[in-house]
Amino acid sequence: MEISAVKLAVCVKRVPDMDVRFRIGADNVSVDEAGLKFDLNDFDAWAVEAALQLKDKNAGSEVTVISLGPDVVQETIRKGLSMGADRGVHLKADKVPFDGFAVASALAAELKSGGYDLILFGKMSPDSANGVVGQMVGELLELPCVSAISGLEIAGGKGTAKRELEGAQEIVEFPLPAVLTVDEGLNTARLPSLKGIMAAKKKPLESRAAQLPQPQLTVTRLELPPERQAGRIIGEGAAAVPELVKLLQTEAKVL
Amino acid sequence: MPDRAGRVLPSIHQAPLPLDRLILTDKPDAEAVPMDVLFVGGGPAGLAGAIALAQLIKADQEAGGDLGEVQIGVLEKAGALGEHSLSGAVVNQIAMRALFPELNDKDFPFRGPVTHERVHFLTENRAFRMPTPPTMKNHGFHIASICEIVRWLGEKAEALGVNIFTGFPAASLLTEGTRVTGVRTTPSGLSRTGEQGSGYTPPTDITAQITVLSEGTRGTLSQAYLEWQKISSDNPQIFALGVKEIWETLKPLDAVVHTLGWPVPKDCFGGSFMYPLTRNQIALGIVVGLDNKRTTDDIHEMLQRIKLHPLFREILESGEMVEWGAKTIPEGGFYALPKRRHGDGVMLVGDAAGFVEVASLKGIHYAMQSGMFAARTAFDALKKKDTSAATLKEYDAMVDGSFIASDLYHRRNMRVAFQERNYYLTCLKVGLMNLSNGALFGGKIKSHTDAEVVREVVPPAPFTPDGKLTFSKLDAVFKSGNATRDDIPSHLIVGPDITPEVAELYAHMCPAGVYERDGDRLVVSPANCIDCKATDVLGPRWTPREGGSGPKYRQM
Amino acid sequence: MANVFAFVETRGSEVRKVGLEAVTAARTLADKTGGGEVHALVLGPAGIAAKAQQLGQHGADVVIVVENPAFANYNPEAATATAADRIKAGGYRAAVFSTSAQGRDLAPRVAARLGVSVVTDVLSFDVQGQNLVVRHPMNIGKVIATISMSGTPAVIAMRPNVIAPAQNPKAGRVETAQPATDPGSTRVKVLETKQGNRDKLDLAEAPVVVAGGRGLKAAENFKLVEDLASAFGNAAVGATRAVTDDGWRPHSDQIGQTGRLVSPELYVAVGISGAVQHLAGMRTSKTIVAINKDKDAPIFKVADYGIVGDVFEVVPALTDAVREAKKHH
Repeated sequence: MEISAVKLAVCVKRVPDMDVRFRIGADNVSVDEAGLKFDLNDFDAWAVEAALQLKDKNAGSEVTVISLGPDVVQETIRKGLSMGADRGVHLKADKVPFDGFAVASALAAELKSGGYDLILFGKMSPDSANGVVGQMVGELLELPCVSAISGLEIAGGKGTAKRELEGAQEIVEFPLPAVLTVDEGLNTARLPSLKGIMAAKKKPLESRAAQLPQPQLTVTRLELPPERQAGRIIGEGAAAVPELVKLLQTEAKVL
Repeated sequence: MPDRAGRVLPSIHQAPLPLDRLILTDKPDAEAVPMDVLFVGGGPAGLAGAIALAQLIKADQEAGGDLGEVQIGVLEKAGALGEHSLSGAVVNQIAMRALFPELNDKDFPFRGPVTHERVHFLTENRAFRMPTPPTMKNHGFHIASICEIVRWLGEKAEALGVNIFTGFPAASLLTEGTRVTGVRTTPSGLSRTGEQGSGYTPPTDITAQITVLSEGTRGTLSQAYLEWQKISSDNPQIFALGVKEIWETLKPLDAVVHTLGWPVPKDCFGGSFMYPLTRNQIALGIVVGLDNKRTTDDIHEMLQRIKLHPLFREILESGEMVEWGAKTIPEGGFYALPKRRHGDGVMLVGDAAGFVEVASLKGIHYAMQSGMFAARTAFDALKKKDTSAATLKEYDAMVDGSFIASDLYHRRNMRVAFQERNYYLTCLKVGLMNLSNGALFGGKIKSHTDAEVVREVVPPAPFTPDGKLTFSKLDAVFKSGNATRDDIPSHLIVGPDITPEVAELYAHMCPAGVYERDGDRLVVSPANCIDCKATDVLGPRWTPREGGSGPKYRQM
Repeated sequence: MANVFAFVETRGSEVRKVGLEAVTAARTLADKTGGGEVHALVLGPAGIAAKAQQLGQHGADVVIVVENPAFANYNPEAATATAADRIKAGGYRAAVFSTSAQGRDLAPRVAARLGVSVVTDVLSFDVQGQNLVVRHPMNIGKVIATISMSGTPAVIAMRPNVIAPAQNPKAGRVETAQPATDPGSTRVKVLETKQGNRDKLDLAEAPVVVAGGRGLKAAENFKLVEDLASAFGNAAVGATRAVTDDGWRPHSDQIGQTGRLVSPELYVAVGISGAVQHLAGMRTSKTIVAINKDKDAPIFKVADYGIVGDVFEVVPALTDAVREAKKHH
């Protein structure tokens, strides 16, 4: 198998820890950030890991981690650097827009002249939960794009990827350069080592203004979902089954 | 010697400290990360120390000093700062002010000043207002969340260039002769059987000219160091277990409240607290000595029961518990302090050294101040290029000459007095100790470790949590944010001869449900552990495990 | 008056239920914006044209049929080009897709090509003045966002099963068209496809979903879940993340905010504790039944009916009872 240096970019997003109860902010259009912990989201971590594994296999490769947002996203870029990425790019914006197309436009403007062989994204970020930015960047850059990959090999200017969708499995082949979005199951993200954390402090991290278009989406309201009506435990063990069937037939009318 | 029928002596069932694992004579690995000063533990003591040291170095550099670049590191076993920090808390801001003289009280990460305070004596159904004992006067201090303090200190430390490594527990001390040369961290990614999984990361060595042990209560490496260097104290260290909850409530609380009496058994030392954090958030908890006298005394259950008392119920009703946690507190006071808190290349600070004043429930400002003294000592040692015990003994002198030692000395016998069995007689004695500022009943009272206190085997009092106001340990652990992976290797070393009664003791000792008695045998679920260290005090030994394991406290 | 575009997803030569949902949604949207036309695009192999009438029944005024053997499978590049070209030419007010696996890939590509934004996993929509306003779950379903879309066309992808396909017969006039690019000469080529069991009902469409979690203890015990599903007859089998992480079931079976989003009539959770990430994927189900041995499991807080018990006793008993009940249907 040919080994040749590849230039890789990974676009990452800093998201809050989802394991909490959220509160809506006083402005009703944002989530109250008090007490929230933020980190690189899991899908993006798998994307970074995929890039690092390719770098490990292809001597001379370079991985750039890119993130858009306020200054605090530099922490997230540094996390990518601690994992082993080589350089970081911070696209400055006061807020991360909800509008994935706006984000994709700004990222595409940055990536266009980068000469990247492979541009990786997580399939989705759990906060905005749209899962669109990677595919949109692919379109804007007019590059081949494969979304939701759970297997990846690169050799000699081409790649193969596995996708698992709705019960079917697909193996696809694509030329480089290409855009990929990463799904669960591709890999397990490495934890930054102590050495990695120290080394990251010295790696280059450029910061420049993001070229964001006017967003076409505006969040006009955030609210907590209505509580489901409390149900009931109808009984214990197999003895409760007849009652359940009766209720499903007569009350819920689903049987 | 086995337990006598109907009695359990916890100490005979405990495994010894595994010194051979905790104190290593290995040369540090070639890939070791070099630090100049390493703080083991990212709590108030470690962070205040790191900040103070960074400040001293910065001032020195600006004045043209010749230290060059000094790498300061803080190692924290939790995945993020604050996640393993838990306290009441009402904080004396003296140390904060000393650390940040340029800031005002309103800049500090406190929730609010103590405006009103009340102490009650409880029976099962009634509450009798008591005059506030002088040791519990908190007027002028601030209510705070130690998690928030730690996160705030962390930001300040990072801004000063301190390297903070979260998710890296220190598993062993690296030593050369009598000198501590650094630490080795735990590996991660091992399966329950010890095999290396796909995410395996080997241990990392960190070398340091000075290692400051700021591990907090019942720190493993601190214990190991003291035992290895045969450093004793007049009295052994004793501990209380605090179990705490945070509630969102509809009814506001207007005062800092402490209670004595029910449900703490008459022969146990302890009480409860309830503090307003915000208009609709309160912190409440119970703190009880681990020298309790029955195998089935259950401190988590005592907290659940106290919530049913009208005084608490009134506030909590129709509220919701949002966090739960537990942690031990060293209570031995002055005579339990190690005779030497420094050595070649090492110093012990904070709760790990025992700087807690239990009568006033204060430790955070002692922790920070001791960290700052260690920083000063470390700075002087670096300048002198001598980090041996001879230079580091300056640290002990600073502590001994400060309010840390004098406060602890004045209250030196109060807690220990309660190891006697007659609560009311003891209260009288303690009252007189208080009034006389330590002059009366000042002679040192000999005490024993908690594990050496015999417990009577009694059946447990039945307790059924209602899931609204009171909760089972399983539900509670969920609210500590504990998401430790299920197949992690066990970090607990179980000792010999675990009889059903001992299993029962462990089940009630542990607030997090790590131990269960299943018929005649002990079942251990190590993933439930929230690192409170009660187990290390009375039962199976606690050892450091994979980084990021344990609770994820947010506002405790 | 403005026309609305609907992309009708197919599987082989069948129109998928989510495709009918898209047409129904487009119809509703057209009626809310002055009663314009619904134009439905359907790509498929030879014979797909026969489905046009069905689409007309559900409200399509025009059905654009593109027949090509390559469209027996989803072809991202050709589908994107064809849909985008048609939408651009048609000047539509909005374009409706589905948040199926295919839709998640296709809708953003089409939107980007048109230079507009997209919102996926849409729970409901409304028209307010000039803007389309949609609701979309964020933060693993813990927060619901209301979003105003100012671009034209407004591209949205509906959550499966939140729109019930409705009969609303319109002309359904068929137009045949060609793929905008040659489906055989795409840059990304499919080397191999392993179809899941095509006879199996898909999670997004099944009226009943039976899902299994860690409580089943081992991969082979999933047979219990499969047996219960076949007793219902119209059920699909799902899994929790714990189970797919352990490799007992494929990732595509995982129900959760970042996995499959389902909204069936009946959801039966077997041995599932109810982690929030999982709940986010199924909490819009109409009726939820939970079977778990732990009475304090969080799933019981969202379940309409719960049985506390050993799944190995309860599930076979339930399977027999359901089979019996179905016999007398």
